[in-house]
Amino acid sequence: MNPTEVLADARETPPQGPPPKPFHLPATTDFTLPNGMQVTIVPYGTVPKVAARLFVGAGAIDEFAEQVWLSKLNAALMKEGTRTRSAAQVAREAAEMGGQLEVHAGSDFTSVGGVALSDFGPKFVALLADVLTAASLPAAELPRLTADLLRDLSIEKSQPESLARERFLGTLFPGHPYGRVYPSESQLQGYTIGDAQTFYRKNFAAARTHLYIAGKLEGDLGSAIEDAFGGWAKGAAAPGLPAQAAKARSFQIVDRPGAAQSNLLIGLPVAEPASPDYIKLDVMDSLLGGSFASRITSNIREAKGYTYSPFSKIGTRRHLAYWLQSADVATDVTGPALDEIFYEIDRLQRDPPSGEELQGIRNYLAGLFILRNTISPDAIIGQLHFVDSQGLDRSYLSTYTQRVMEVQPTDVQGMAETYLVPSKMTIVVVGDKAKIADQIAPYTQATEQEPQMNTDKHR
Amino acid sequence: MPITYYKLPNGLRVILSPDFTAPTVVTAVYYRIGFRVEPKDRTGFAHLFEHMMFQGSRNLGKMEFIRLVQQNGGVLNGSTRFDFTNYFELLPSNKLETALWAEADRMRGLAITDENLKNQQDVVINEVETSVHNQPYGGFPWLWMPQYANSNWYNSHNFYGELKDIEAATLDEVQAFFKTYYAPNNAALAIVGDFDPGEAQAMIAKYFSAIAPAELPPPPDLTEPRQEKEKTATRKDPLANRPALAFSYHMPPRNSPEYFAMGLLDQMLVQGDDSLLYQELVKKRGFTGEVGGAINELGNMFDYDGPMLWTAALFHDATAQPEQILSAIDEVVESLRSQPVDQSLVDRSVTKMRSSLYDTLTQFGGFGRADLMACYALFDDDPSKIDSLESEFRKVTPQLVERTAREYLRKANRTVLLIEPGAASPDADPDADPAAEMAAETAAEMEESN
Repeated sequence: MNPTEVLADARETPPQGPPPKPFHLPATTDFTLPNGMQVTIVPYGTVPKVAARLFVGAGAIDEFAEQVWLSKLNAALMKEGTRTRSAAQVAREAAEMGGQLEVHAGSDFTSVGGVALSDFGPKFVALLADVLTAASLPAAELPRLTADLLRDLSIEKSQPESLARERFLGTLFPGHPYGRVYPSESQLQGYTIGDAQTFYRKNFAAARTHLYIAGKLEGDLGSAIEDAFGGWAKGAAAPGLPAQAAKARSFQIVDRPGAAQSNLLIGLPVAEPASPDYIKLDVMDSLLGGSFASRITSNIREAKGYTYSPFSKIGTRRHLAYWLQSADVATDVTGPALDEIFYEIDRLQRDPPSGEELQGIRNYLAGLFILRNTISPDAIIGQLHFVDSQGLDRSYLSTYTQRVMEVQPTDVQGMAETYLVPSKMTIVVVGDKAKIADQIAPYTQATEQEPQMNTDKHR
Repeated sequence: MPITYYKLPNGLRVILSPDFTAPTVVTAVYYRIGFRVEPKDRTGFAHLFEHMMFQGSRNLGKMEFIRLVQQNGGVLNGSTRFDFTNYFELLPSNKLETALWAEADRMRGLAITDENLKNQQDVVINEVETSVHNQPYGGFPWLWMPQYANSNWYNSHNFYGELKDIEAATLDEVQAFFKTYYAPNNAALAIVGDFDPGEAQAMIAKYFSAIAPAELPPPPDLTEPRQEKEKTATRKDPLANRPALAFSYHMPPRNSPEYFAMGLLDQMLVQGDDSLLYQELVKKRGFTGEVGGAINELGNMFDYDGPMLWTAALFHDATAQPEQILSAIDEVVESLRSQPVDQSLVDRSVTKMRSSLYDTLTQFGGFGRADLMACYALFDDDPSKIDSLESEFRKVTPQLVERTAREYLRKANRTVLLIEPGAASPDADPDADPAAEMAAETAAEMEESN
């Protein structure tokens, strides 16, 4: 019999498969050196590679208003050699271990690390320690690195998504380093080697540092760590600088004449990771816009064809979080795309999702959790660093899936209602102002005249 | 790691490779149809078609495939590449049968409408706008370089698609493309992760063995002629602030000794801060902050089957002339062509390559391993080739590196692509076909030299 004939009248239902296997998080070994540096080691996997990353609590947050990107300049200088090794030597030694030195300055942390062949684990740790604790920050390299940063700045500022991000974060975090995304060219040109050296001296120390090592482990890493970092000065813990995020309706247009699309960013502050609401927000976000099958993506991509890769997410900084919906939409549907996004927010605020829809999202997050904790040594490090840097207990990870499974339809609706308040949202549109003016008029007028705009009036 | 390889009676190639590190499983279906081979008046069709594979099959309506994977705790994707189009799911390991059932459902046939097609034409046009037209350096160099460096249409057309071609596609064309290329005897199914091979074989037989094979069209001639003259192309980019420069050399034939030597030359020249061009162009000359490069910019040096380019690219300032940068590149490249390199440099490149190979194979929860096994099954009928790669690189000698550089890093084998910030001149057609433009440039050059 032809199987397609059997199928002709009834649809098959997908096979469910057996029950899931139990998932155990990779076990960690944690200790603190006498100088306060924290260490976490995670044996994982059979592939002979090991990831080692040091997160130092030093980044944009430690820059003064006139020092934007000084942390990046410092990171670039840290790759330029140590008191005993030239930059070329550092690069060659890392390569001989199958690794590469990566130094990256972010909002709250500068990371120094890489992934090397397991045979060289202890030696790689020693090399990273030399870079981190004995960086020479040579003045001779300053002009070249400044020119590189000026080029990066110029290129980034030609990208529409970067312009949107700059305006969005600038609006959300006024007067705080989180809101200062880009320096001016003259600011960058003004940094001296003394500025970078002072930044390094002031902000890099053992008490602000956490070393994570994950992968297939070989050799005596414990001794290597003690030998390499034991003599590093303790310093003080990172001071922190709490941010007051803006919670007021703001509509911002960045004009980009001739743009083929409008880049939309819509969002506002939500509860921080340590809040009991955070996991519920995570579930709400995945259902609303944070996954391929989410409501906003189903609507503006799969039903309307307005955009290719819309997404929402919860962005975090230390002890704070914000929700964000992003979409690059065709210019002529800028207004309709905004309407649909707010329609979906409003719909979720009014009605709890069905049990079936929510169960799908809970399962999705439970599955993603396994991937995030197994997919690579760096992914494992990312999960642990998130928990530790947000001051959460490690039980956040061991209880995550259970807590996701406990989220109820009314919780999701409640999160949308409590947090996704349209009258408190920042909306940024990067696009051709003249072409989209009519489409976005309802939003711009509401900002000027009536902040408590009712967003579902178009339905 | 163990590999089981066999073919179903309908020709489907099956590769099974268990790995019990995590309770997850990758299910990947590869069809041997990439963007090189698409209808000549329908550029971008292979990629548009890939989108249609998510729009519905007999038992899974629109969005249901995506929802099925997601609500079972997994992620999925599809991509169109030079010589294949792939679809894969990464799921908790107890959901292997669910994935196999779903992939078999869409291998049997599509249940799609004009409305679905119109929707995905809009989505794909937005995709091209986002990544090319609305972006400074959009398509640089991955989309443009093959169009300038190659001369055979299959390798040199705009594979993302001219917007008018994407708009013109019809539902009949979609169904015809499916019938022609999406058959089990033109596909490979790779499974990597936590599963029992015996159980998997039974499930595969159950869901895939009744799917009928198709008669495949003869493959077109993809060969590129030996390039005998250096080519230079310039594109004006009104969205860009700084100039950029890329250069490509045609690769040696796949799996030849020279091909493996080029893998090491890529490591020597552009991979990592120890690489020769990083040291020269970044550290010594300060032309740029980084030099990126790859064999096959849309994958890796293993997952293609046809003419390929080794490409490197950098962004620079207007104060540095392309001629200066190229002469610095030439100095480095010529040093490799004129004498055998040190054994220590070869050794370091092998170490870097070995490390990078581990990364490739473990990429995305075992997807990287599935990718290579499926490609070696489709292209070479031998997925176990992945186990011999390391030893092939170890066979490379300094003499072979020199010989390879002498033939393949010839200036005449090179194409240079320059991006100049600023608006195109008013008489230039912004949608001009790069291949035609190149032909015109070459003709003009020849006239000058005559």
